[in-house]
Amino acid sequence: MSWYEQYRSRYARLKQAGKPFFPYAVFKDMVVVSLILAALCWLAYFAGAGLEDLADPTDSTYNPRPEWYFLFLFQALKFFPGRLEPVAAVVVPGVSVLLLLLVPLLDRGPLRHPLDRPFWTGLGLASLAAFGHLTWSGYHSPLINPTVEKDPLISRGIRLYREMRCAYCHKINKKGGNIGPELDRSAGSGSEEWLAKHLRDPQSVTPNSAMPKLNLLDDEIQALVAYMKSLGEPFTAEAPKLFTQNCASCHRIGETGGEAGHDLSLIGSARDKAFIKRYIGDPSKTNPDSSMPGFKGQLTEVQIEDLSRYLAGLGR
Amino acid sequence: MIAWVHERTGLDRVWKALFERHVPEARGPAAWLYTLGSASLFVFLVQALTGALLAMSYAPTPDHAYDSVRYITGQVALGGFIRGLHHWGASFMVVLAVLHMLRVYFMGAYKYPREITWMTGVCLLLLVMGFSFTGDLLPWDQKAYWATAVGTNIAGQTPVIGGVVSRVLKGGSEMGAATLTRFYAFHVLVLPALLAMVVLVHLFLVVWHGISELPERRLQDGDPQGP
Repeated sequence: MSWYEQYRSRYARLKQAGKPFFPYAVFKDMVVVSLILAALCWLAYFAGAGLEDLADPTDSTYNPRPEWYFLFLFQALKFFPGRLEPVAAVVVPGVSVLLLLLVPLLDRGPLRHPLDRPFWTGLGLASLAAFGHLTWSGYHSPLINPTVEKDPLISRGIRLYREMRCAYCHKINKKGGNIGPELDRSAGSGSEEWLAKHLRDPQSVTPNSAMPKLNLLDDEIQALVAYMKSLGEPFTAEAPKLFTQNCASCHRIGETGGEAGHDLSLIGSARDKAFIKRYIGDPSKTNPDSSMPGFKGQLTEVQIEDLSRYLAGLGR
Repeated sequence: MIAWVHERTGLDRVWKALFERHVPEARGPAAWLYTLGSASLFVFLVQALTGALLAMSYAPTPDHAYDSVRYITGQVALGGFIRGLHHWGASFMVVLAVLHMLRVYFMGAYKYPREITWMTGVCLLLLVMGFSFTGDLLPWDQKAYWATAVGTNIAGQTPVIGGVVSRVLKGGSEMGAATLTRFYAFHVLVLPALLAMVVLVHLFLVVWHGISELPERRLQDGDPQGP
């Protein structure tokens, strides 16, 4: 234990020869703290803190992204698929933290310069590199679900729809009350002018309507109309049959259909009608690697339009 | 008057012990690395202050959380700015704490007699992570909700105790009102109390042992740290 005493007396000498904490160290601290405060204020003022849409527990298409300093953990999970996932999720971080905690008990002895401790310096650098690499690749990894750019007007409409409890009377996507019509089946067929009039004063366009006058503001009506128009256009009863005859051998919707192609149960939440229509007509134009045949010629233009409307409404 | 206060509080001796204590001289640019601990402490104070201001207008229920955050951002005087400070302060906190830890790690400053100082520091880093995880959920927007859903699922994968941990975190089997109030209680009551205690121990140890000196290369003749 002699180097303990040696260290203590050496440190006591160095401390004695050193300078008082105030003002020497305090001055440096103040300089750094001022810079940090300036940077914080700059970021807070110009970048601020984001706020996305209200949490929607039913939205299965959202791409969860953690804060950047947890990204490495997300990325590490991908190396341990299936039943090994707990290893990456819990075992590796747990062991790492324990190791970190115990570093002073593992690396003992008087040597402190990084070049005199090649093992520990190397381990530290390797951990840093791994963290950096995982964060970098996590940041650039493709999103699990394709991102859908939602029109802010539509988002506002969704929010109003929820705030005003429209679902008390109306159904969208099979959820809501029975008093009013199912909006994703009917609202899309009305023109924007008709919808706006209806929202302003239901009885003026539908004399027997049970819907109350809501005294909405113009921009609220605009938002609700945008939301209604986004619910999709009506399709005929033919469309699901067309799907069964032409698509179901490869694609599935819900429980029925083939396995060769993608599951289309939620396709409407990721792709709009125009995209789907293009794709059905000639897949190779949009995706050169696709093995799906084009249906232009095989189906009429009207049938493809009908089918696209049907698919675009799925999972919305 | 001042002497009267000093006699009854010992403030003069506290000042002497904290501020007039000597610190080994660190020459060159490496001396600036010794400011990272103070910087972390400063950002913690910023977080405490902005956090207290935010808590005055925040409502921790799923029905009102999102709207209260919108209210803070749009309506409260300087609300958006204070929320921005708290948001970016969280990132700064993590970065500064980690940089501080790297400085101590690569300089071997965790060695005798500062082993326990290091361990309390690791605890502080874990607490900071806890703050970040619980704070993320509070705005109750899409990002908040889904990041927490994934986080609690990860915790739920712990062998044997995973189910219990996940239920304790969520306050039930599903994420909802209980999750939000629970995270809020952790974020503003439990974690701050723990952090304050560990910070005090950490600071006490730093002052008690003195700030470590810059490491020197081993001398050729085998003497570990020179004369």
